[in-house]
Amino acid sequence: MNGQEHGRAVDLISRREVEGIADTDERWLESHLAACEECASYELALSGAERAMRSFTVMASASLVESTRARVHIRAQQLAEQQARTVLIGVSFCLGVITSTLTAWVWWKFGGWVAQSLGLPSGIVEPGILLFWLLPAIVIAVLLVAFPPSAFDGSLMQRFMRERLRGMQ
Amino acid sequence: MVATAFSSLLTMETEEAQIASGLRRRDPEVLDALIEQYQHRLLRYLVHLTGERATAEDLFQETWIRVLEKGHQYDGKSRFATWLMTIAHNVAIDHLRKRRPASLDEMRDTEDAAPFEPVSDGPSPFEQVSALEDRARIQAALETLAPIFREVLVLRFQEQMKLEEIAKLINIPLATVKTRLYRGVIALRPALMGGAQ
Repeated sequence: MNGQEHGRAVDLISRREVEGIADTDERWLESHLAACEECASYELALSGAERAMRSFTVMASASLVESTRARVHIRAQQLAEQQARTVLIGVSFCLGVITSTLTAWVWWKFGGWVAQSLGLPSGIVEPGILLFWLLPAIVIAVLLVAFPPSAFDGSLMQRFMRERLRGMQ
Repeated sequence: MVATAFSSLLTMETEEAQIASGLRRRDPEVLDALIEQYQHRLLRYLVHLTGERATAEDLFQETWIRVLEKGHQYDGKSRFATWLMTIAHNVAIDHLRKRRPASLDEMRDTEDAAPFEPVSDGPSPFEQVSALEDRARIQAALETLAPIFREVLVLRFQEQMKLEEIAKLINIPLATVKTRLYRGVIALRPALMGGAQ
């Protein structure tokens, strides 16, 4: 018997229980095991290990399952809030960009008209009025960047779930 | 028979697709049902992998949080159990790497916590005592195994996973899975043979 045959036998022994092997392979393996003590010993050890492993049980406690569910629900709530907030920010941003772009030309012209009417330098009044028009949008954008989603983390629902979780532990 | 096999395959596909759809929606009911269904299997895997019940329970919760967060990545084409174990494997690896900077392969369990709860199924007191002794011996042998071997044994014998599935889950070559299985079984052999004497 050569190493290749032992390798094949070990492979078939490993696969026999879960994947299953072909009848021809089964017959070959049986004849090999009858003649090869080393492989027969491995086969015995493998089936023994399988039996032993299956005899151990690990049970998750009800409190673990319940607290896991509570944590998952809290996180789901956080993610839903984050997602809603992201959508809101995205829509607001798009609307802001569109509105600003469409009206910028009008406000620029308005600045020019004001400068002309009052006899002021148009190089200052036109950008000034445009900036005044865009200022609220810029302030809001800065605030949104300054306060990350975690700052909006204290909703009533989340506080309730946290207290429930603490009560279980 | 072919029709039955096809029918069960179809049922599985439908079930996996439903899970994928539920995870994409982050449906709490779907997650609750999954936690209920896979609670023992997942915890068992993590207990065997980490060798510590308390750590395994932490990682159990962390795994489900990650399932929620990464749920949209599950496409429903593979078995959910395999995907879940992959997530758990990654969570455990992250944890073990943080805890010990050394390679996972070098780690051996020295924890004194009892991770296994033997089943009491012996019909007579003598057999019960004998079975308990066998289990204690095998458990001790298991605990001396490096987690990489124990993990393969658990996935193979308890989760009944195919060798290819294990390779995909752990992200190692198939040949390495076979080697780990072989070496794991060989390492357990003295304890198993002790039971036969």
